[in-house]
Amino acid sequence: MVAPWLVYSLLTILFWGVWGATSKAVANDIDTYMNQVLFTIGLVPVLILVIRSPRLAGGKNRKRGIFYAFITGILGGVGNITFFKSLTMGGRAAVVVPMTSLAPLVTVVLAFLVLRERMSTSQLIGLAVAGVAIYLLSL
Amino acid sequence: MHFPLWLLFALITLIFWGTTGVTQKLSTNAISTESSFLWFVVAFLPIALVIVLVVPLDWHIKTRVYCLAIVGGALNGLGALTSFKALESGGKASIVIPLCYLYPLVTIFLALILLHERVTRTEIAGIVLALVAAILLSREALPEASN
Repeated sequence: MVAPWLVYSLLTILFWGVWGATSKAVANDIDTYMNQVLFTIGLVPVLILVIRSPRLAGGKNRKRGIFYAFITGILGGVGNITFFKSLTMGGRAAVVVPMTSLAPLVTVVLAFLVLRERMSTSQLIGLAVAGVAIYLLSL
Repeated sequence: MHFPLWLLFALITLIFWGTTGVTQKLSTNAISTESSFLWFVVAFLPIALVIVLVVPLDWHIKTRVYCLAIVGGALNGLGALTSFKALESGGKASIVIPLCYLYPLVTIFLALILLHERVTRTEIAGIVLALVAAILLSREALPEASN
Protein backbone atom coordinates (compact mmCIF):
# COMPACT_ATOMS: atom_id res chain seq x y z
CA MET A 1 0.00 0.00 0.00
CA VAL A 2 1.17 3.48 -0.82
CA ALA A 3 1.47 5.93 2.08
CA PRO A 4 -1.32 8.55 2.07
CA TRP A 5 1.16 11.45 2.19
CA LEU A 6 2.71 10.16 -1.03
CA VAL A 7 -0.67 9.93 -2.76
CA TYR A 8 -1.51 13.53 -1.74
CA SER A 9 1.94 14.72 -2.87
CA LEU A 10 1.41 13.14 -6.28
CA LEU A 11 -2.04 14.76 -6.50
CA THR A 12 -0.34 18.10 -5.75
CA ILE A 13 2.11 17.53 -8.60
CA LEU A 14 -0.86 16.88 -10.88
CA PHE A 15 -2.88 19.96 -9.80
CA TRP A 16 0.12 22.30 -9.86
CA GLY A 17 1.29 20.79 -13.15
CA VAL A 18 -2.03 21.64 -14.83
CA TRP A 19 -1.97 25.06 -13.16
CA GLY A 20 1.49 25.56 -14.70
CA ALA A 21 0.00 24.88 -18.13
CA THR A 22 -2.88 27.35 -17.60
CA SER A 23 -0.33 29.96 -16.42
CA LYS A 24 1.78 29.39 -19.51
CA ALA A 25 -1.29 29.78 -21.72
CA VAL A 26 -2.15 33.25 -20.34
CA ALA A 27 1.34 34.49 -19.45
CA ASN A 28 1.50 37.04 -22.27
CA ASP A 29 -2.08 38.31 -21.93
CA ILE A 30 -2.22 39.30 -18.26
CA ASP A 31 -0.06 41.14 -15.73
CA THR A 32 0.83 39.75 -12.32
CA TYR A 33 -1.46 42.02 -10.31
CA MET A 34 -4.54 41.14 -12.34
CA ASN A 35 -3.47 37.51 -12.25
CA GLN A 36 -3.17 37.62 -8.44
CA VAL A 37 -6.70 39.05 -8.14
CA LEU A 38 -8.24 36.44 -10.49
CA PHE A 39 -6.16 33.72 -8.80
CA THR A 40 -7.75 34.71 -5.46
CA ILE A 41 -11.23 34.56 -7.02
CA GLY A 42 -10.37 31.04 -8.23
CA LEU A 43 -9.56 29.97 -4.66
CA VAL A 44 -13.15 30.63 -3.57
CA PRO A 45 -14.79 27.54 -5.16
CA VAL A 46 -12.12 25.34 -3.56
CA LEU A 47 -12.88 27.01 -0.25
CA ILE A 48 -16.56 26.10 -0.71
CA LEU A 49 -15.46 22.45 -1.01
CA VAL A 50 -13.92 22.47 2.47
CA ILE A 51 -16.14 24.99 4.26
CA ARG A 52 -18.73 22.36 5.29
CA SER A 53 -16.17 19.94 6.64
CA PRO A 54 -16.72 18.93 10.28
CA ARG A 55 -12.92 19.04 10.59
CA LEU A 56 -12.98 22.85 10.51
CA ALA A 57 -13.58 22.86 14.25
CA GLY A 58 -11.08 21.69 16.80
CA GLY A 59 -7.40 20.94 16.47
CA LYS A 60 -4.61 20.60 19.00
CA ASN A 61 -3.79 24.29 19.12
CA ARG A 62 -6.15 26.46 17.08
CA LYS A 63 -4.46 29.83 17.56
CA ARG A 64 -1.08 28.47 16.60
CA GLY A 65 -2.45 26.56 13.60
CA ILE A 66 -4.43 29.53 12.29
CA PHE A 67 -1.41 31.81 12.72
CA TYR A 68 0.86 29.57 10.66
CA ALA A 69 -1.80 28.93 7.97
CA PHE A 70 -2.38 32.68 7.63
CA ILE A 71 1.38 33.33 7.45
CA THR A 72 1.64 30.66 4.72
CA GLY A 73 -0.89 32.61 2.64
CA ILE A 74 0.81 35.96 3.23
CA LEU A 75 4.29 34.63 2.39
CA GLY A 76 2.97 32.83 -0.70
CA GLY A 77 0.95 35.80 -1.96
CA VAL A 78 3.58 38.46 -1.23
CA GLY A 79 6.20 36.13 -2.73
CA ASN A 80 4.24 36.16 -6.01
CA ILE A 81 4.49 39.95 -6.05
CA THR A 82 8.18 40.23 -5.07
CA PHE A 83 8.88 37.64 -7.80
CA PHE A 84 7.18 39.91 -10.32
CA LYS A 85 8.92 42.98 -8.90
CA SER A 86 12.30 41.33 -9.33
CA LEU A 87 11.55 40.73 -13.01
CA THR A 88 10.37 44.31 -13.59
CA MET A 89 13.37 45.82 -11.77
CA GLY A 90 15.93 44.43 -14.19
CA GLY A 91 16.20 40.83 -13.06
CA ARG A 92 16.45 38.55 -16.07
CA ALA A 93 13.91 35.71 -16.13
CA ALA A 94 16.75 33.31 -16.99
CA VAL A 95 18.27 34.10 -13.57
CA VAL A 96 15.26 34.89 -11.37
CA VAL A 97 13.09 31.89 -12.35
CA PRO A 98 15.68 29.14 -11.68
CA MET A 99 16.82 30.91 -8.51
CA THR A 100 13.36 31.18 -6.97
CA SER A 101 12.40 27.67 -8.12
CA LEU A 102 14.93 26.38 -5.60
CA ALA A 103 12.65 27.46 -2.73
CA PRO A 104 12.22 23.80 -1.59
CA LEU A 105 15.89 23.80 -0.59
CA VAL A 106 15.12 26.65 1.82
CA THR A 107 12.24 24.52 3.12
CA VAL A 108 14.61 21.59 3.68
CA VAL A 109 17.12 23.71 5.64
CA LEU A 110 14.35 25.27 7.75
CA ALA A 111 12.68 21.88 8.29
CA PHE A 112 16.02 20.58 9.58
CA LEU A 113 16.48 23.55 11.93
CA VAL A 114 12.91 24.26 13.04
CA LEU A 115 11.07 20.93 12.73
CA ARG A 116 14.13 18.77 13.47
CA GLU A 117 13.34 16.60 10.46
CA ARG A 118 15.95 14.03 9.50
CA MET A 119 16.35 12.16 6.21
CA SER A 120 17.62 8.79 5.08
CA THR A 121 20.62 8.56 2.77
CA SER A 122 18.48 7.71 -0.27
CA GLN A 123 16.23 10.68 0.47
CA LEU A 124 19.26 12.98 0.75
CA ILE A 125 20.46 11.79 -2.65
CA GLY A 126 16.91 12.22 -3.96
CA LEU A 127 16.92 15.77 -2.63
CA ALA A 128 20.15 16.63 -4.43
CA VAL A 129 18.80 15.14 -7.67
CA ALA A 130 15.51 17.03 -7.17
CA GLY A 131 17.44 20.29 -6.77
CA VAL A 132 19.17 19.75 -10.12
CA ALA A 133 15.91 18.60 -11.76
CA ILE A 134 13.89 21.58 -10.51
CA TYR A 135 16.65 23.89 -11.69
CA LEU A 136 16.82 22.32 -15.16
CA LEU A 137 13.02 22.30 -15.55
CA SER A 138 12.86 26.01 -14.74
CA LEU A 139 15.34 27.02 -17.47
CA MET B 1 29.48 47.04 -3.94
CA HIS B 2 26.06 47.91 -5.29
CA PHE B 3 23.46 45.32 -4.40
CA PRO B 4 20.82 45.35 -7.15
CA LEU B 5 17.20 45.65 -6.07
CA TRP B 6 16.02 42.88 -8.38
CA LEU B 7 18.35 40.47 -6.59
CA LEU B 8 16.97 41.56 -3.23
CA PHE B 9 13.41 40.89 -4.44
CA ALA B 10 14.44 37.52 -5.91
CA LEU B 11 16.01 36.55 -2.56
CA ILE B 12 12.89 37.67 -0.66
CA THR B 13 10.79 35.50 -3.01
CA LEU B 14 13.08 32.51 -2.50
CA ILE B 15 12.92 32.85 1.29
CA PHE B 16 9.16 33.55 1.43
CA TRP B 17 8.24 30.62 -0.83
CA GLY B 18 10.72 28.35 0.93
CA THR B 19 9.35 29.26 4.35
CA THR B 20 5.77 28.38 3.36
CA GLY B 21 6.69 24.67 3.37
CA VAL B 22 7.57 24.87 7.05
CA THR B 23 4.66 27.12 8.09
CA GLN B 24 2.32 24.68 6.30
CA LYS B 25 3.70 21.82 8.38
CA LEU B 26 3.52 23.86 11.60
CA SER B 27 -0.10 24.63 10.76
CA THR B 28 -1.15 21.03 10.06
CA ASN B 29 0.65 19.95 13.26
CA ALA B 30 -1.88 22.11 15.14
CA ILE B 31 -5.11 22.09 13.10
CA SER B 32 -6.75 20.09 10.28
CA THR B 33 -5.99 20.45 6.57
CA GLU B 34 -9.42 22.04 6.08
CA SER B 35 -8.84 24.72 8.74
CA SER B 36 -5.31 25.34 7.45
CA PHE B 37 -6.59 25.83 3.93
CA LEU B 38 -9.37 28.17 5.09
CA TRP B 39 -6.94 30.52 6.84
CA PHE B 40 -4.43 30.21 4.02
CA VAL B 41 -7.11 31.52 1.63
CA VAL B 42 -8.18 34.23 4.10
CA ALA B 43 -4.62 35.61 3.88
CA PHE B 44 -4.97 36.06 0.13
CA LEU B 45 -7.99 38.36 0.52
CA PRO B 46 -6.17 41.42 2.00
CA ILE B 47 -3.43 41.03 -0.64
CA ALA B 48 -6.01 41.04 -3.46
CA LEU B 49 -7.85 43.94 -1.79
CA VAL B 50 -4.68 46.05 -1.57
CA ILE B 51 -3.96 45.34 -5.24
CA VAL B 52 -7.49 46.34 -6.30
CA LEU B 53 -7.28 49.56 -4.25
CA VAL B 54 -3.70 50.59 -5.07
CA VAL B 55 -2.78 49.23 -8.51
CA PRO B 56 -4.51 50.50 -11.67
CA LEU B 57 -5.81 47.25 -13.15
CA ASP B 58 -6.50 46.53 -16.78
CA TRP B 59 -9.89 44.82 -16.76
CA HIS B 60 -10.07 44.75 -20.57
CA ILE B 61 -8.78 41.27 -21.10
CA LYS B 62 -10.22 38.43 -23.12
CA THR B 63 -12.87 36.19 -21.56
CA ARG B 64 -10.64 33.20 -22.25
CA VAL B 65 -7.83 34.79 -20.21
CA TYR B 66 -10.23 35.61 -17.33
CA CYS B 67 -11.43 32.01 -17.26
CA LEU B 68 -7.97 30.44 -17.45
CA ALA B 69 -6.59 32.73 -14.72
CA ILE B 70 -9.49 31.88 -12.38
CA VAL B 71 -9.27 28.15 -13.19
CA GLY B 72 -5.52 28.48 -12.53
CA GLY B 73 -6.26 29.87 -9.07
CA ALA B 74 -8.63 26.98 -8.38
CA LEU B 75 -6.08 24.39 -9.55
CA ASN B 76 -3.35 25.99 -7.47
CA GLY B 77 -5.77 26.02 -4.52
CA LEU B 78 -6.53 22.32 -4.98
CA GLY B 79 -2.79 21.65 -5.01
CA ALA B 80 -2.34 23.70 -1.85
CA LEU B 81 -5.14 21.67 -0.25
CA THR B 82 -3.58 18.32 -1.16
CA SER B 83 -0.13 19.52 -0.07
CA PHE B 84 -1.57 20.47 3.35
CA LYS B 85 -3.17 16.99 3.42
CA ALA B 86 0.16 15.32 2.53
CA LEU B 87 1.79 17.10 5.47
CA GLU B 88 -1.11 16.34 7.82
CA SER B 89 -0.94 12.66 6.78
CA GLY B 90 2.56 12.44 8.23
CA GLY B 91 4.71 13.52 5.29
CA LYS B 92 7.84 15.43 6.22
CA ALA B 93 8.06 18.99 4.89
CA SER B 94 11.60 18.27 3.69
CA ILE B 95 10.30 15.41 1.51
CA VAL B 96 6.78 16.52 0.52
CA ILE B 97 7.71 20.04 -0.61
CA PRO B 98 10.66 19.13 -2.92
CA LEU B 99 8.51 16.30 -4.31
CA CYS B 100 5.58 18.65 -5.04
CA TYR B 101 7.92 21.15 -6.71
CA LEU B 102 8.59 18.54 -9.40
CA TYR B 103 5.23 19.61 -10.89
CA PRO B 104 6.83 21.16 -14.05
CA LEU B 105 7.10 17.53 -15.15
CA VAL B 106 3.34 17.53 -15.71
CA THR B 107 3.37 21.08 -17.12
CA ILE B 108 5.94 20.19 -19.78
CA PHE B 109 3.98 17.08 -20.71
CA LEU B 110 0.77 19.13 -21.09
CA ALA B 111 2.54 21.93 -22.97
CA LEU B 112 3.79 19.29 -25.37
CA ILE B 113 0.30 17.90 -26.00
CA LEU B 114 -1.97 20.94 -25.67
CA LEU B 115 0.20 23.92 -26.54
CA HIS B 116 2.29 21.95 -29.06
CA GLU B 117 5.53 23.16 -27.54
CA ARG B 118 8.74 21.32 -28.26
CA VAL B 119 10.73 19.73 -25.47
CA THR B 120 14.33 20.92 -25.21
CA ARG B 121 17.30 18.72 -24.30
CA THR B 122 17.61 20.52 -20.98
CA GLU B 123 13.97 19.70 -20.24
CA ILE B 124 14.48 16.04 -21.14
CA ALA B 125 17.43 15.90 -18.71
CA GLY B 126 15.26 17.67 -16.11
CA ILE B 127 12.41 15.20 -16.63
CA VAL B 128 14.66 12.15 -16.23
CA LEU B 129 16.27 13.57 -13.07
CA ALA B 130 12.85 14.59 -11.69
CA LEU B 131 11.60 11.01 -12.06
CA VAL B 132 14.71 9.63 -10.34
CA ALA B 133 14.35 12.24 -7.58
CA ALA B 134 10.67 11.40 -7.09
CA ILE B 135 11.45 7.70 -6.66
CA LEU B 136 14.32 8.37 -4.22
CA LEU B 137 12.35 10.95 -2.19
CA SER B 138 9.32 8.70 -1.88
CA ARG B 139 11.31 5.73 -0.58
CA GLU B 140 10.72 4.79 3.03
CA ALA B 141 7.14 5.84 2.43
CA LEU B 142 5.99 2.72 4.24
CA PRO B 143 8.01 2.30 7.45
CA GLU B 144 8.32 5.89 8.52
CA ALA B 145 5.51 8.42 8.54
CA SER B 146 6.33 10.76 11.37
CA ASN B 147 6.02 14.42 12.10
